Amino acid sequence: MTAMKKLLEDIGLEPERLEMYNLSSSEGVRWRNDILEMLERVRKLGPNPLRNKETVTS
Amino acid sequence: MIVGTTKPIKELIAITDPYKRILAVGCGTCITVCYAGGEKEVAVASAALRIARKLKGGELVTVEQTIKRQCEWEFVEALDEAVANCDAILSFGCAAGIQTLADRYTDKPVLPGVNTQFIGMVLEQGVWAERCIGCGDCITHQTGGLCAVTRCPKGMLNEPCGGETPEGGCEVDETKTCVWINIADRMKKTGELEQVQHLVPLKRWSLSHSGGCREIAMESMQK
Repeated sequence: MTAMKKLLEDIGLEPERLEMYNLSSSEGVRWRNDILEMLERVRKLGPNPLRNKETVTS
Repeated sequence: MIVGTTKPIKELIAITDPYKRILAVGCGTCITVCYAGGEKEVAVASAALRIARKLKGGELVTVEQTIKRQCEWEFVEALDEAVANCDAILSFGCAAGIQTLADRYTDKPVLPGVNTQFIGMVLEQGVWAERCIGCGDCITHQTGGLCAVTRCPKGMLNEPCGGETPEGGCEVDETKTCVWINIADRMKKTGELEQVQHLVPLKRWSLSHSGGCREIAMESMQK
């Protein structure tokens, strides 16, 4: 995750757009809270700058 | 094995900037094992380059291909078709691989994706250490199987320099044990300690890279 966040930063995307949460299938409340946390973060960051550009393909 | 590290992505973005269609070539041997330029690293770097280009409003097409070894003609041939359709080749092989591609594809720019570091070994998961500088005249039979030429920063051949710390750390890098202490410990265990007092004769440095770029011709194996 550290390496991928650094990579995102180096190519010009906010590393905060990426996060990994470890939780089990029985942790429903935590799952909901994690999603809300990420949702709030992404709203603050704004739309993905690649969103309106053509699809990036190899 | 040859140990390398992937070039920083910012550097790759800069050196690929003039090109629109790049063939990113991974190497399936040493550089895969050290996680610098195998299939996975090539895929990650290629995706990062495409996104970075797109963020700047441009477009980059990458074609990815990983071959078993970039330093042998037999394996490199498989790239012919892909090379014909690209502007430049981004090699994730070691410097030997990069130059093999440059020798074969004389009309295409070849760019390095990897910084080749050294001949070394895996110390533990994710940690590599230099073990050979390729001096061309191995003397490890006189130094307990450990290479003082490589592992002593001062290249001391007959004994420690005297600057080691009381704990046995190297004067140049105290996090490492003085290799001459390692050599003595090992030769004591193997019953060879007396040999350590025999002077290692002057090395023939002309056999190393100091004598110029080397080639080896083995007649028995030549056509």
